[in-house]
Amino acid sequence: MVNVDKLKEIARETISRDDVKYLIGWRQGTYGFRAAPYFMSTPEEAEELIFSPLCTNNLATYLTLAEKLPVPRGQEPDSRKVALLVKGCDSRAVVQQLVEQGISRERVLVIGCPCRGVIDQKKVEAKFPDVREAVSAVWDGDTVVFNLPGGSVAVPRQEVLAGKCLTCRYPNPVIADVTVWEEVAVWGSDDYVDVRELEAGSPQQRWGFWEEKFASCMRCYSCRNVCPMCYCEDCVLDRLNPQWIMRSVNTAENTAFHLARAFHLAGRCIECGECERVCPVDIPLMKLNRKLTKEVRDKYAYEPGVDPEAKPLQASYRPDDKEDFIL
Amino acid sequence: MDMKKVRKEKFADFLATLAEQKLYAPQKVGESLRFAPVTDSGKVELEMSNTTVPPKSVFFPQTETLYRYEVGNTEIQQPAMGGVDIVLGVRPCDARAQVIVDSLFGWDYNDPYYQERRKATVVGLACNKPCVNCFCLSLGGGPASTVGLDLLMTDLGDAYLLQPLTEKGEKLLALAGETVETAAAGDREAAESLHGQAEQMITRKVETAGVAEKLPGLWEHSLWQETANSCLGCGICTFLCPTCHCFDIQDEVEGLEGRRCRMWDSCMFKEYTLHASGHNPRPTRRERTRNRINHKYSYFVQKFGHTACVGCGRCINYCPVNIDLVEILRQVKEAL
Amino acid sequence: MCNNANPYIPYVATIEDAWFETVGERCVKTFKVTLDDPVARKNWRHQPGQCAMVGQLGVGESMFCISCSPTEGDFLRFSIMRAGKNTQALHELEAGDKLTVRGPYGNTFPVDEWKGKKILTIGGGIGQAPLRPIVEYVKANLDQYAGLTMIYGARTSGDLCFKDEFAAMSGRDDLSCHLTIDVEEEGWEYNVGFVPSLLMDLSPSPENTIAITCGPPIMIRFVLENLKKLNFADDQIYTTLENRMKCGIGKCGRCNVGSLYVCKDGPVFTYATLKDIPEAFA
Repeated sequence: MVNVDKLKEIARETISRDDVKYLIGWRQGTYGFRAAPYFMSTPEEAEELIFSPLCTNNLATYLTLAEKLPVPRGQEPDSRKVALLVKGCDSRAVVQQLVEQGISRERVLVIGCPCRGVIDQKKVEAKFPDVREAVSAVWDGDTVVFNLPGGSVAVPRQEVLAGKCLTCRYPNPVIADVTVWEEVAVWGSDDYVDVRELEAGSPQQRWGFWEEKFASCMRCYSCRNVCPMCYCEDCVLDRLNPQWIMRSVNTAENTAFHLARAFHLAGRCIECGECERVCPVDIPLMKLNRKLTKEVRDKYAYEPGVDPEAKPLQASYRPDDKEDFIL
Repeated sequence: MDMKKVRKEKFADFLATLAEQKLYAPQKVGESLRFAPVTDSGKVELEMSNTTVPPKSVFFPQTETLYRYEVGNTEIQQPAMGGVDIVLGVRPCDARAQVIVDSLFGWDYNDPYYQERRKATVVGLACNKPCVNCFCLSLGGGPASTVGLDLLMTDLGDAYLLQPLTEKGEKLLALAGETVETAAAGDREAAESLHGQAEQMITRKVETAGVAEKLPGLWEHSLWQETANSCLGCGICTFLCPTCHCFDIQDEVEGLEGRRCRMWDSCMFKEYTLHASGHNPRPTRRERTRNRINHKYSYFVQKFGHTACVGCGRCINYCPVNIDLVEILRQVKEAL
Repeated sequence: MCNNANPYIPYVATIEDAWFETVGERCVKTFKVTLDDPVARKNWRHQPGQCAMVGQLGVGESMFCISCSPTEGDFLRFSIMRAGKNTQALHELEAGDKLTVRGPYGNTFPVDEWKGKKILTIGGGIGQAPLRPIVEYVKANLDQYAGLTMIYGARTSGDLCFKDEFAAMSGRDDLSCHLTIDVEEEGWEYNVGFVPSLLMDLSPSPENTIAITCGPPIMIRFVLENLKKLNFADDQIYTTLENRMKCGIGKCGRCNVGSLYVCKDGPVFTYATLKDIPEAFA
């Protein structure tokens, strides 16, 4: 069972350690059904921590998003650890970052929070429009209980959980230095129904589907920036010399942007769904990423972000690897 | 000026009277709502809280060709300017925002691309149902503010009340002919009552007086690092902001056809201030966040005499990590 | 100001002459250019301190200071360090090639206001490019000023720009030119050491003097400190800033330091203005 008091206690102990720089968790957001990433560095701040169905953000992205400024002369670099709260899906990002050596194990302290699924804000806001106050939520059996201003309301999980949570196979962290409460039973299975549906269409239908979506992209790069696997310091999409993607925002360049990103995530995407969640124009990016995930799984029996000892897909070769994609 | 009204069943006919003109109105593009040229009046979407993308995209398109040329040739071809006659369905906050942006595109050097489009008639749509994060009242606006509008529409349920505010608004109504009728006294009262109710629904408020004066003293305050900690450095808050106006200029060449174009840029992007030498005067999200807030609430005030924010709430609604401008302003006010 | 009704449209110009000032990866090349359109050429007015957008169709444009004084003739000079995409492409150009110019942009050094005063320029590396127009302007109107002292330094002798011009300044009573390089070199007969130290060695009097400095940020910081030690008042000290720019006309947003746009409100600022803007020297 989720025990937020225990979480706070562990957070207080962790942040009190000399070798921990800060701890990243969640706190209640400023309005509605939001949680916000929360960077804390003193034990007192632990009081604000939450863990609830509102905790959508994958905080693993902050491990690689942290800015590395040059160390002033005469000073030692700060080599303390970053403590991070992770859900099951988030933990896969940590594993994949380790596998790719994007982060080093001794610099991160993973606090695992077995999770029963987080909400899709849009679904909840559609159910409870015009809620202005910050609303907390808890899991209760097969429901999520929202503590609305007028009283608590229980809603079946099926109706409010994010799509990725309904098919979740990794509700328990796959890596953790400490797990805060007991693991939860796996409820989901994933046979890529969404991808199959799209695959069933004709090339024209599929192109029509994506063309409309990509045409609406504003290239705000929130999908890239929120992605825990998009951590190149010098992103190919930002380059001007040579310039692979023009800055003009139009269907052609937007398509090139999204396809380039999808390909760079092949065998790396851990399906946290953050790109799709943050998109201000609701491009269903996970359909694209999951198409490649499915290909990788079917062709190479590879799943990223589950085994810290694994090699990255692109860095591993087996003589029996399929080559039928080569024309 | 006489108020008119158009019954909803006649609204398509009303729009048809404007068919000769280049009309922009909110429509669904992909899964988002934004202003687009009207080709089918049935697609015009006015039952919205507000568009995802503000109407600045009509006056200042996200990508626009400044001029064309052929590679190896120095002859420059300017594109036709203008191309917008009417923008309909503009929320009062966004109309006010455009007036704020006018001061930028018109100071010292005129920006002909922007200014030609700004000649368009702007038809507003009063807010009957402000969204959760609207805080326009804190910035001198309101659900039925008329600043920057030529005509204000109010949704009365079965009809739209049409209140002309300028000569351009009058002209538009003159075109409408039989599709509109004279509004009754009760219609005006009904609209005023709706406007009042809408004001009551705006609960997010922030005291903005004194912020401009206070910000310079908070240069080294911890709130910038605290805000920047969770910031992803994406462009949502700036791209969706109706007053943000920064742009990049790039040459783009396909074959021999070249164009110099401008596109929205964001002060939240690392490249925005990056020198060719590799030096970056705003090296981290802390400096960029601080600049964004200072620009809106201090620099713009010093330069143009008004705050570059209208309280539309988009930056709050769409921020993936719940960075909340109202909260930042509260911290500014409370900071010692 | 650009006379064109559309301020984004550049003039086409022809390179009359081009030469390298320095060598190396970050070398500086100077271009002497003339606007093609005779009317534009006739109407062009610039003053020391002003800038222009220089570029090529198909590549892009960047802001550079105009490194010549209007007293030199109706041509323009740009001294451009090779750094990014645009400057790399510009360095490929030779005499006879075309480029595009928009401008002149920004404010100017108040050379009229300074009449009757002693002028002290303190430059480092490519930072001499915006100072050169002052040096040339004052040289051309020396009877109206109380003297000109130039301090200029670079990492090595090979990194000094405009070397040929300094020889002509030596041996004159009304002009003094002090060159320095960071470390000793064989055959170098001038000063060795950093610019801020040379400034202290010379210790010019602030009386009736205007000091103008431009160079790498670290140099500017120590020069400002030393000028204060020498009792220069804040409004006796000028500098010229540069930031990434795209439009040059106060619209695109990025060049701001505080509420000031470097492209419009600058690039010339007094220390009195900048000292209260925390990011001015960032």
